[in-house]
Parts: sequence; structure tokens; C-alpha cells
Amino acid sequence: MNDRPTAAELAEAVRGFLESEVQPALQSDRTRFRALVAANALGILQRDLTLGPGLLREESELLGSLLGLPAAQGVPALNAELCRRLRRGEAPAGTREALLRVAAMKLSIASPKYLRTEGTK
Amino acid sequence: MSDLRTALGPSLSTLFGGPTQVVRLDPIGGGASMEIWALDAKTPQGLLELIVRRAAGGRIYTDALSLEDEHKLIAVAHAGGVRVPRPFGYLPDLLGREAFVMERLQGETVGRRIVQRPELAKARAALPAQMALELSRIHALDRAQLSFLPVPDPLATLRAQLDALDEPHPAIELGLFALERSLPRDAPKAVCHGDFRVGNLMVQPDGLSGVLDWEFAHLGDAREDLGWPMVKAWRFRADDLRLGGIATPGGFLERYGELTGRAVSEEEIRPFELLGNVRWAVGALSQARRHLSGEERSVELAVLGRLACEMEHEILQLVEGSAR
Repeated sequence: MNDRPTAAELAEAVRGFLESEVQPALQSDRTRFRALVAANALGILQRDLTLGPGLLREESELLGSLLGLPAAQGVPALNAELCRRLRRGEAPAGTREALLRVAAMKLSIASPKYLRTEGTK
Repeated sequence: MSDLRTALGPSLSTLFGGPTQVVRLDPIGGGASMEIWALDAKTPQGLLELIVRRAAGGRIYTDALSLEDEHKLIAVAHAGGVRVPRPFGYLPDLLGREAFVMERLQGETVGRRIVQRPELAKARAALPAQMALELSRIHALDRAQLSFLPVPDPLATLRAQLDALDEPHPAIELGLFALERSLPRDAPKAVCHGDFRVGNLMVQPDGLSGVLDWEFAHLGDAREDLGWPMVKAWRFRADDLRLGGIATPGGFLERYGELTGRAVSEEEIRPFELLGNVRWAVGALSQARRHLSGEERSVELAVLGRLACEMEHEILQLVEGSAR
């Protein structure tokens, strides 16, 4: 057991530093943009640390039930099997809906803003 | 840089047919595969503002043109009336690497700014018709002079790139499956720019001043170039404006139809928009691999691997109705 700050809290601390102190102090547009991208990457890391494990479990259950296979096979193996079936033209019923839910899970970590603007349409 | 400056002198003098002097030379971008320099030179034709594109030693993208071919293509496009930077010549050996020299246009190239900046509102109004005009000219270029252009099979290429990732992406598979059924394969091959989108245009307050970034040109279905600028990633959240965040596509397609005599409906472009999204999803994942493999370390490239799920989400929206 590590003391606080947790891994996610550390990521958040560095992100805040990049955004509020480093980025405004930079001279070149290009480096400023990269600092923004780096801060964004730390935001992804922070959300992945907090939300990732739960979402991965949910994804394996979703894919397992779509394919009729045990969720315990894990997301990489289940994804690979789904790809093989798609390539053979044997998509299980409900594939698109399941993949939309998976995409929304990935977006909630990688790009929550994207998801919010989608939701308002 | 001083070596490059020294090497440029004689090369430019040959190119411009008389003594030429480098006044300014600054790096302004590029990456692992390409250097881009802003060059001001005193030539027999007067003081010229130029760009030097020079190979950077890193591995280039496998589907990109060589600098020599890119220069040839820009010359043919220039002669064909396409708004491009005026090409000034190819240098096979500029300090050990190939390079070419072209006019340096002024304006904005950052897609997000073109979509959002208030002072470019007039440009945004002019761009759809101007984009249609440039595409009509590009698609009419004479293939006979451009025998070096590749003729890729878009779906086979994407499948190979997807396989090379070695990471399963069922949403992209579903997109490819839909495209195998819906993408037309029988159109005559035209010269395609291959990366025609708002962020690859030089834009001034009154509109388009040049079409840039020709390295992904190829022979293919002209409608690829009509679908690519509609890909959601280039709209910068101005999502109601399907054409690159600047306009609804109606006027753009109508103008293209008038100019080419070939009417194109929004319905007809839909599979090409899906193709564009699949291409950018695979592209983003491949870019992240450039970082992960150490080929080009960059936080920007790394993050693209995680942002590919935006394109996956869009692919799943677009396959509705086209897949089954």
C-alpha cells in the first residue's frame, strides 16, 4: 500500500503543473501545443488509473456474452475472436451496439469531451 | 545549419541560373522523415521567399511519394492550373540528402484555426467553391505525365496496415466489412491528392491560396478526395458543418459537379466518408506505433493511439444502414 497521493492523483498534479505553469511560459507555438498534448496525455492516464479496471471488466463481460464465450478469456483474446468472425462475415447479432458501448467506454477515458458533444446531438 | 547554408549556395545558383545568396534559413517544422526550412534567397529573379523540403534520414511512410516524385507532381499540378506553391527545382544531393525548393506561400494552415478564427470567416465562406475548383483541376491532370503515381487498392492497403498493428480492432473490422460491400470499385482512375482536407490548405483572409502536402497522391477513385475532407476528425467540433467544420457539403459537391460535369450526391460520398474514417483510424494507430517502436518518439504520436477510439465511434455511426 502506497501513501497518498495515489497514482491518479500524481498524474493530476503533473497535469495541473503543465497546464497552468509550463504551457503559458513557453515561447514557441509548437512547444506550447506539445505541452498541451502532454497535459492531455496525463489526463488520459489519470482516468485510466481510476476507471480502467472497472471498464475492462465490463468490456470482457460484454464481449463474452456477445460471442458466447467466458469473459475470463480476457479482452484481447475476445477482441481477436470477434475480429476473426467479422472477417468471415459471421458478426453475431448485436455486434454494432456492443461495439458502440465499448467505444463509449474507451472514450470516457481517452476523450470524455468527445462523448459529451456526441450526447448533446 | 551553417553547413546546409553553405551547401545551398551553389545548389541554388545552379537552380536559378546565376549567383544566389542565402539571406535567411530557419527550420519551420517537419519530423523524423522530413525537414522543412524557410529560406529567403537573393536570386537573379530578385529576393524570393522559399521553402526547402529535405529528407531527414528517418524512414519515410511506405505509401508516401519520394521527394523527387512529389516535386514532379507539384510541377505538373502547377502547369495544370492547380493553386500550388510554385516549384523551383529538385536537388538530388543537398548535403547528402534529396530536397526540393518551392515558393513559400503566406497564410494559415492549422485546421483548427481555419475553422475557428473570426478573422477567417470570409475565407470559410469562399473555401467550399474554391476546394471544388482545385479538386476539379487535380482530377483532370494528365495521368500520362505521372506514371510514377501508385495505384493502391484502398481496402487491401488498409487491411494490411491493420494487420501490421498486431492489435485487434473489431470496430475497424466492421468498417472494412461494410466497405467491402458498399465501396464502388469500377470508377476510372483519376489523379487523387490523397490528403485533401482543410488542414492541408494554405488559407488567407479571402480564401484558399494553395494546396499543400502532396506526398500521399495516387491514382484512384476521385470521390476519395471528396469524402476525406468530410471526416469528422477535421471538423474540430463544428459538427453540423460536415465539410471540414466550415460548411455543409451541398455547395461544395454541387460546384464540383458543375465544374466536372459529373454530379455527385451526398449519398454517393457516404462510403468514401466511411473509408476516410477507417483510413484515419488505422493511420492514427499506425502513427502511435511510430512512437512505440522508437522510430519517432513523440507525445503527439503516442496520444493518437488512444484517440483512435473517436474514429472507431464515428465508424460505428456511419456503418449503420451501409453494413446490413
